Amino acid sequence: MDENARVSNEVVIKADGVDFSYRSGEYVSRGVTGINLEVRRGEFLVILGRNGSGKSTLAKLLNGFLIPDEGIVTVMGTDTADENKIYEVRSKVGMVFQNPDNQMVASVVENDVAFGPENLGIPRAEIEERVTEALETVGMSEYRKGSPNKLSGGQKQRIAIAAILAMRPDVVILDESTAMLDPKGRREIMDTVMNLNREKGMTVVLITHYMDEAIEADRIFVMNDGKITASGAPKDVFLNYDKVKAAGLELPVASKVSKALIEAGYDLPFAITDEELAKSICRLKQKI
Amino acid sequence: MKDITLGQYYPSDSFTHKMDARVKLVLVVAFIVAVFLAKNFLSYIAVAACVICATLVSRIPISKMLKSIKAIIMILIFTGILNLMFYNGETVYWSWWRFNVSLEGIIFSVKMVLRLVLLVMGTTLLTFTTTPTGITDGMESLMSPLKYIKVPVHDIAVIMSIALRFIPILSEEVDKIMMAQKARGASFDTGGLVSRAKALLPILIPLFVSAFRRADELALALDARCYNATPNRTRYQVMKFGWRDLAGVIGTAVFIVLVVALNNNFWGAYQSVEAAWWLFAV
Ligand SMILES: Nc1ncnc2c1ncn2[C@@H]1O[C@H](COP(=O)(O)OP(=O)(O)O)[C@@H](O)[C@H]1O
Ligand SMILES: [Mg+2]
Repeated sequence: MDENARVSNEVVIKADGVDFSYRSGEYVSRGVTGINLEVRRGEFLVILGRNGSGKSTLAKLLNGFLIPDEGIVTVMGTDTADENKIYEVRSKVGMVFQNPDNQMVASVVENDVAFGPENLGIPRAEIEERVTEALETVGMSEYRKGSPNKLSGGQKQRIAIAAILAMRPDVVILDESTAMLDPKGRREIMDTVMNLNREKGMTVVLITHYMDEAIEADRIFVMNDGKITASGAPKDVFLNYDKVKAAGLELPVASKVSKALIEAGYDLPFAITDEELAKSICRLKQKI
Repeated sequence: MKDITLGQYYPSDSFTHKMDARVKLVLVVAFIVAVFLAKNFLSYIAVAACVICATLVSRIPISKMLKSIKAIIMILIFTGILNLMFYNGETVYWSWWRFNVSLEGIIFSVKMVLRLVLLVMGTTLLTFTTTPTGITDGMESLMSPLKYIKVPVHDIAVIMSIALRFIPILSEEVDKIMMAQKARGASFDTGGLVSRAKALLPILIPLFVSAFRRADELALALDARCYNATPNRTRYQVMKFGWRDLAGVIGTAVFIVLVVALNNNFWGAYQSVEAAWWLFAV
């Protein structure tokens, strides 16, 4: 797979100096401040941060659920503050949420997936095509006529992803969509997301507090107290251990082990995946 | 709480499953009218035959149908006994205080129970053979003339669809909350009426809290899927009046005519057949 071909230079979403705080009457609560970021087409971008760090607020700013107090967010050139184009923005930036049960509106899988395209006024024949394709992409074709109630958490969440894909968005944002799932369900969603990005070239913004889900990202943004405190390729960000720790996050096990070994005086490179760690330990053993 | 067969779709490819949801809705209403029209046992037999035919073409297993009757068994027993006791018949067999069991009472309560059973079977056939989405789409389509007097027909349909989808989820949640409260020593089936009602409070409060949180997220999810983006919304579910629907309408009409005819003694044809005459007379 050619990395350079997958990620293009086209900027799909751009946030420029964005501030947002929640207000209800007198009471103001900080949402996010000073956000600058660009999402490029084909990219797999991960936003990391602990509870309350402002990840969901940022996500909602990216698809026009929230409008910045300061600064500007554009989706393929369209300002999200433009009320006349809000549905255009939302159909381009699809959002998957945490609880799969609370995202489904119909009692039959295919009708739920068709709901978005119906709202957009897509002709019937094309909806049919889109439903088929979306369900195929997430590997849930055989459940098409069934009820979502009897499915596992991971399967339900895959339907929720299909429902967004059926709108043919340019970007899919997943806001902690793995947080409520068991390890198997998490794996299913991560596989689906990776397949979506690597095979279908879909631009993905994954929001999570699990660092191991960020390993394969093109770029990572670490959030803390409503600000982006670190960004870059996974390895660079993970090496920046103090910032990761300050943001209340845990390094993946491989990184922790290799870091401990380096600190103990062993000569091996910093690793982020288990395979990397295993290889460098083998090499180390051969040397000794 | 466990058994919510009333309102559960049974996937299949049968004749009835393929019918237009709108037609099925209208036919069910017609069927309900027919049940209430039926007066004597012969017309009840006709209605029962109608239900049996419909069940056969729907390929719903008998066990499924029986289950839906089991769900209302207490209501059936209650109705049967009450009508039996309080009916003021002439041929009294047994009498005590205000209760009289008479021949007429027996016949009347059998008819009432039969009527309920037929009603439940007929209406559950609709929910067995039509997806909740089909039912809401059908209702939306039938109600669509109301749009001209500014009734938000589509919104009502979406609300109905969401309600149907969340009934099993919320009932599962009630089970979970009950279990959690039981684990803390709560008891829901002892004590008097007041203390039982009080015991429900620790279930209702978490249920409402959770329902409102769900509603919040659901609103976001609807927005994320561009709900109300355009007034020219399209429809995925096709609804077309086909040959099956025509056959269904004709079939049901035949049964209704039959019921009316049987009610009216076939304009004097019974007297010649003694057994038929007896069934008619009671
Ligand atoms: N609807 C809201 N009203 C008021 N404050 C909110 C609301 N949603 C979030 N916040 C506040 O904004 C901050 C960031 O929250 P959020 O974006 O949900 O974080 P995360 O998704 O990373 O857990 C928190 O301090 C939270 O209290
Ligand atoms: Mg969040």
